[in-house]
Amino acid sequence: MPKSRRFFNAPRRRSKHELLLPALFIAPALLVLLALSIYPLIYSITISLQQETASGVKWGLGNFARLVSDNFFLTAMAHTFVYAAAALTCEFLLGLGLALLLNKQIRGRGLFRASLLVPMMLPTVVVGVVWRLMLNPNFGALNGTLKQFGINTESLTWTASPRLAMLSVIAVDVWQWTPFVFLVLLAGLQAIPQEPYEAALIDGSSRWQTFWHVTLPLLKPSILIVLLLRTMDLLRVFDQIFILTEGGPGFATETISLYIYRTAFRFFDFGYAAAMSFVLLALTNVISAIYIRFLQAKEAA
Amino acid sequence: MRLTLFLTLLLLLTASCTNQQSSGKQLTLAVVSGVEGDALKQAARDYESQTGTHINIAEFPYTNLFEKELIDLKARTGAYDLIMLDDPWFPRFASEQFLTELTPLLERRGQSGPDSDFVATSVALCRHPYQTGPLYALPYVGNSQLFFYRKDLFEKHSLKEPATWQDVLTAARTIQEKENGIYGYVMRAAQGNAAVADFMPIFWAFGGEMFDASGKPSVNSPEGIAALEFMLQLGKYSPPGYASFNADEVGAHLLQGTAAMSINWPAWISSFADATKSKVTGKMEFSTLPAAQRPGQAEIGNWLIAIPRDSQNADAAMDFLLWATSAEQMKRSAERGNPPTRQSLFRDAELVAKYPAYPAQLRSLESSRPRPRTPYWNEIENAFGIFLSKANSGELSPTEAMNQANAEIEKILQRTQATQ
Repeated sequence: MPKSRRFFNAPRRRSKHELLLPALFIAPALLVLLALSIYPLIYSITISLQQETASGVKWGLGNFARLVSDNFFLTAMAHTFVYAAAALTCEFLLGLGLALLLNKQIRGRGLFRASLLVPMMLPTVVVGVVWRLMLNPNFGALNGTLKQFGINTESLTWTASPRLAMLSVIAVDVWQWTPFVFLVLLAGLQAIPQEPYEAALIDGSSRWQTFWHVTLPLLKPSILIVLLLRTMDLLRVFDQIFILTEGGPGFATETISLYIYRTAFRFFDFGYAAAMSFVLLALTNVISAIYIRFLQAKEAA
Repeated sequence: MRLTLFLTLLLLLTASCTNQQSSGKQLTLAVVSGVEGDALKQAARDYESQTGTHINIAEFPYTNLFEKELIDLKARTGAYDLIMLDDPWFPRFASEQFLTELTPLLERRGQSGPDSDFVATSVALCRHPYQTGPLYALPYVGNSQLFFYRKDLFEKHSLKEPATWQDVLTAARTIQEKENGIYGYVMRAAQGNAAVADFMPIFWAFGGEMFDASGKPSVNSPEGIAALEFMLQLGKYSPPGYASFNADEVGAHLLQGTAAMSINWPAWISSFADATKSKVTGKMEFSTLPAAQRPGQAEIGNWLIAIPRDSQNADAAMDFLLWATSAEQMKRSAERGNPPTRQSLFRDAELVAKYPAYPAQLRSLESSRPRPRTPYWNEIENAFGIFLSKANSGELSPTEAMNQANAEIEKILQRTQATQ
């Protein structure tokens, strides 16, 4: 029976195609990834190991050794962590509170939810420019409003005093990104089924106990996602600060991304900039790993 | 039939001729976007129609231009035949031997050196080492700082013209006390270029030098610290928040009439004549910079044009460069809003009628000083600017700021010397 034999042989002949065809489908994506991610990554590793000298390129860990004694780098790193920790704490607490509030049946819930999302929808550059104008000590809306209430705004130079400048840039970040935290946590809350709450009610647990023992553990996956995403974003913050203060006054709001940018594109020291980028990458990875360990371990327990 | 053949041949011949002409001469020019680059772009168009040389123009915003040029020159692509460059970039480009030496090209044209009509301080910028070395560029736009002050307020309060920084301080105090809603002075002390540009004229007048005779940084000399202390005194009469001001905020205060004095660049002058932008039309006076222990000196900021070393058309590029910087063409550039670099044009009756500040601009330019000539100026200016801004925002005392700035500059020099 030639026909059936052919039929039985068919799968073996097709198996080659079965390997080739998917490979062909994947190839373009793989090539793009190779060209746009893998190659630049390897290239940046090689330039981070190069120091330019008049007599040619010197290979070694010189760029990394320089980090330790570079006050600007260390200060920028410290600023980045202060900024990230403060903004993350505020955004998380505010976002969680708002999500809990607007998860309840209250009047005008839809309107509140929609209007809360506006800041997040704006491009960061626009946010930066708008806030820069609002915070202007002489013509800005904020000081203008405070003056109406009879407050002396002479010393409230928001982006020009070293103490207030950091506070200002953090506040702008909180204004813009709390809605994102709120949105993710609200989605998480709505995915929690009713049964555990009913069980808690029957057991007679207080509202606080219900929150602590039911809501929070069940919300943990959403919390993990939101903390991870925000931390990564905060550690590499660039655009708002660049527009609001450009790292100033002095060095007061210079974060590591700004300093990397300056080193690469103003001083043209790509090797050193690449070395700093790798340190930032390593730190971001370590922090992410800690989150995942911490939150997943608790979930398992 | 014959006629058709003849016509076809003729057509082919003319076609090949024009083809040869346009493919034979082609130049690529990198310009900055804005008024300085626009004038050169228009000049390139004129040149094209006059000579048939095709000129491609690559236009970039200020910071990108530096990146593009440096990347291109480093990679030796030969993409550009002519580049516009801001004078602080010149030491870097020249010290890495990116540029074509112009004297041989001049000699081939029967000239022994650059035209003596060019302002000496402008030509000095085009030589590496500064003032004494071989010529690698020609100056195109002759900016230097000026002192802006409200003549009407000075007359009203019978104040002495601001010849010294002490006069400036007195006038600032008087105006702020007697006028409502007008700050005596406005400066910009945002970290980086802004703070350094506004400080250097004070620093120099007080006798400060960024580097001593042996090339070591010396910003924390007693003179340097005194200059910074003076800047802070003047800052008391500047609008609050000036430690984060850039050129825009300074311009806004002056145009709105809410500040009486400032150091500024000539590019702002035309705005004061424009009643749609300015509330103080006809009230602003422009002069050279005030003196202290030493005569007042402005910071020079010229746009230069150079021919990259790897240009394949250096000779044709030189023809264009000489044409564009000729007195006749530079006058057109001046009419388009760019201060010239030729003395004859600063004294040209037509131009002076159009730009009454030209005599003051020439005096300022002739007595101006360049920013320290070092290939690492960008890094040094950044570090210095950070500490100046810190002092102005009250984070550091003048002595501390200057000591730390000095240490940082020293570190940059040591590192760059070690890798050289």
